[in-house]
Amino acid sequence: MSDALAELLRHPALWQGGAGGEMPAAVPSGFRRLDERLPGGGWPLSTLVELLIPSAGIGEIHLLLPALRQLSLASPGEPRWIAWLAPPHLPYAPALADAGLDPARMLVIRPRAGLDLLWAMEQALRSGACTAVLGWIGAADNRALRRLKLAAEEGRSPGFLFRPAAHRKESSPAALRLVLAAHDDGLDVEILKSRGGMPSRIDRLSIH
Amino acid sequence: MLEGRPATRAPAPESHRRALAVVPPGMPPAADGERRELWLAAHFPRLPLHALLPATASARAAVVTAENDPRRGIVACNERAARQGIVAGMGLNAALALVPGLRVEERRPVAEAALLDRIARWALRFTPVVSIEPPCTVLAEVRGSLDLFGGAMALCRRALSGLQDGGLQALLALAPTPRGALWLARADLGLSVTQARAMPDIASRLPLSCLQWPAETVTALTALGIRNVADLLRLPRAGFVARFGPRLLDELDAGVGRRPEPRRRHIVPERFDEQHELPVETDAALILQPALERLLANLAAFLRLRASGIPGLRVDLLHRARTPTRIRIGLVRPAGDAAHLSGLVAERLARERLPAAVTAIRLRSGVLLPLSLRDAGLFERGQSADPEATARLLDRLRARLGQDAVFGVCPVPEHRPERAWRIAEPGGTTPLPGQWPVTRPERPLWMLVEPQRFDSWEGTLVTGPERIETGWWDGHDIRRDYYVALTRSGVRLWLFRERPPGSGWFLHGVFG
Repeated sequence: MSDALAELLRHPALWQGGAGGEMPAAVPSGFRRLDERLPGGGWPLSTLVELLIPSAGIGEIHLLLPALRQLSLASPGEPRWIAWLAPPHLPYAPALADAGLDPARMLVIRPRAGLDLLWAMEQALRSGACTAVLGWIGAADNRALRRLKLAAEEGRSPGFLFRPAAHRKESSPAALRLVLAAHDDGLDVEILKSRGGMPSRIDRLSIH
Repeated sequence: MLEGRPATRAPAPESHRRALAVVPPGMPPAADGERRELWLAAHFPRLPLHALLPATASARAAVVTAENDPRRGIVACNERAARQGIVAGMGLNAALALVPGLRVEERRPVAEAALLDRIARWALRFTPVVSIEPPCTVLAEVRGSLDLFGGAMALCRRALSGLQDGGLQALLALAPTPRGALWLARADLGLSVTQARAMPDIASRLPLSCLQWPAETVTALTALGIRNVADLLRLPRAGFVARFGPRLLDELDAGVGRRPEPRRRHIVPERFDEQHELPVETDAALILQPALERLLANLAAFLRLRASGIPGLRVDLLHRARTPTRIRIGLVRPAGDAAHLSGLVAERLARERLPAAVTAIRLRSGVLLPLSLRDAGLFERGQSADPEATARLLDRLRARLGQDAVFGVCPVPEHRPERAWRIAEPGGTTPLPGQWPVTRPERPLWMLVEPQRFDSWEGTLVTGPERIETGWWDGHDIRRDYYVALTRSGVRLWLFRERPPGSGWFLHGVFG
């Protein structure tokens, strides 16, 4: 193999299929049934994860809470931010504290214009200053999402995108795409796309 | 414009100078090895007034009263008020009885200190050795500057006219010791002494009041029949120390030159201030940006030499015949890195709508702060967060989105849900977790800023009621029964009903 090719293959943005692919670094989601289905045994780090939801508030944050807690505990040295970009409501500090997250590390970003939102999310991901970046982004073209993914890889920060379920038909560069649906006993999770894994479904994942 | 008796105050009249064996200025140095210093004291008895009112506001009688004083004693008054019989030390009621339409201001020590600082900075044009004597005197060692300014009298005249131009009323005096000059200026004798030998000679003309010693000390001394500094100097030293302590004796010795008194020099903090003239008038970023980069590179080099960072930056874009466009950039953490600063300036510049073409760019730093230097790790690379990265991200986001678009949240120990948190500066300190009632029922992760009426909802109540009934003491009392509800679409909500029931449902939070 020529040097140029070897160099190309080492590029972080390039994923190789088959046995050669390493297990991506991941943080356990805290839900055993979900971890079993995810390559690496949890949420992939340093990339983009897309959560498609029918309506805000069905439990999508609770699904992330154990991982966020773990990530903020594991971060060495200078404490980093958990960035909330354009959330539908304001995160409630007492509830965050109850959930074991330090409210002082929360960074709420509410840009006025849509373009600023993508820019801000890219900055937050690329800076390496965030343990996780949560963004509520509606319509975004493939190119914009690809930029976010590259920024996440560069800054080694996981980016979680919350988007309306209507976007499930569109293609997306996200390494992991889940469709969530509310259920009386929890969430029905459909793994739409999983880099290094298989599409599958988990019914009635209890999250509370 | 000077109120009161002007310039005659500062230079010593001819007769006094001869009588007190004052050496005329510009004489060759004394051969007896005496310390050759000459201090100029500028005393501002009306500093509290000057700090609050511009000199132009003298058309009306005005007084400044002591702060936090129930009697509101008068600290200073302007000339017009003085002519109508108001003197310092009078109570405000007495003053108002004399002059009903009196303008009254409360003393502001911060403004006074700032004015004194400005005066000290101005005094640096006469000599590099300037020292502030709070509350209202500036001292300057001027021996070395006498030749340059044409002698002591010429220097005093120049200083006085400069202060007058600034609307300040000053009493000037020269003495071989800083404290001696201070006494002379406060005593308002119109006297100057240039030889240390002469100091004890004029001590008999210095009243006790010019020492500004504690009132009880002055009362005790007056009871002993002591009227002036000469009387004090005649007292037995050991007895004086036993009675009034060694500090006052040291002061006395320093005043007459028996003991050196080192003064703390007023040093003007270094700042960066550079202007770059553009080759052409333009508002094109293509030309502005490189000019800015050059200025920022100079700034970064300036900061690197001093191992300092800046907490903020001011960029003025100068226009022809128009007020400059001023851009102010605040930093979360002092920084001195050109790339970071230039990124911030570029973001801000992109948002700025320039009213006209730019002729020049001026870059100014605020105060310099020491930067904690950090060793670059030898082995770790890119793993843990760069300690500066968190602050930098904040700076960059705020430069483009605006200050208010980026914030943090902070819990507040309070039972009313809407008051149990507030918006805070990101990264602020969190109260200890021990303060929180952790046994309370679960709270929603999303909170509405204001509860919303929520009458037509379909679903089931999961838990509740949790009664929250509190806050009667501050008029924002709440009486509510909170429930967790699950809607048909599977969203868990935090709802409440006012008590007594009947007013319908309100939505307050979403569990998310």
